[in-house]
Amino acid sequence: MTGAPGTTTEETIVEEPVEAEKIVTDAPWIVIVWNDPVNLMSYVVYVFQKLFGYSKNKATKLMLDVHHKGKAIVSHGTREKAEADVARLHAHGLWATMEHEHG
Amino acid sequence: MSSIFRKNRRGEVVARLRPEELALLRGLPAELRALIDDPVRDDADVTHSDPESERAPETAEPVDDAVRRRLFPLAYLDPTEEDAEKEWQRMVHPELVRSKLDALSLLAGTLERAAETRGRVEVVLSPEETEAWLGVLNDARLALGVALGVTEDLDLEAMAGDPAAAGYAMYGWLTALQGALVDALL
Repeated sequence: MTGAPGTTTEETIVEEPVEAEKIVTDAPWIVIVWNDPVNLMSYVVYVFQKLFGYSKNKATKLMLDVHHKGKAIVSHGTREKAEADVARLHAHGLWATMEHEHG
Repeated sequence: MSSIFRKNRRGEVVARLRPEELALLRGLPAELRALIDDPVRDDADVTHSDPESERAPETAEPVDDAVRRRLFPLAYLDPTEEDAEKEWQRMVHPELVRSKLDALSLLAGTLERAAETRGRVEVVLSPEETEAWLGVLNDARLALGVALGVTEDLDLEAMAGDPAAAGYAMYGWLTALQGALVDALL
């Protein structure tokens, strides 16, 4: 992500994507938002608040996780819920994917 | 830049632009429509890639394809979910395209009614129109960002002598505009 004009950006700690696993269980699905170099940090906070009803604090913490760790889990639930959340995030230009929660 | 957008007493966003900014915005819908309004994806588009290596494509992929992959990402990283991916794309992609095209039309409509006052053009945006502006500005930045290959540590001032200087200038302007709009909303 990038800061608003005039703000400094920091080196991003990049993590390897979680190894894809096929687990046939009822484990919930998780929705992951990935860091990208374009989306504004303030916009990402705005989208998390708007789509998920998160407080500004929670939305900001998630945004910072995306920014510093390269990704953050932003929601979880059934496959249908995760699919809907990914679609809404894509509609807002965020880079989101879904996968089975581990364990 | 921060005074470009303000909220009026009714909570609506008022955009106040220079005429040349209005002209730039008017050019966005046609350019983005060409990228968004692509025929239904075929199976060949369901190719998996690592999100973190997107910035450095090894093959000479057409820029428009790279932009479309960013505007319409895959839902699953797991390649064994290919069937679920296809089904998700079948269900969601037309709706995503429609919503992005609707946003372009909404933005274009607001620009048509922008009225000039004291050397600036002003337009009052409904909440729906404000969301459309945000979405179009974001899509425009994503598209241009992919085309330019921007990175997180982009230093716009250092790009003044670059062959793509005009593109970077446009990107910087869009970034400032979107930042000002988000600031007005938060």
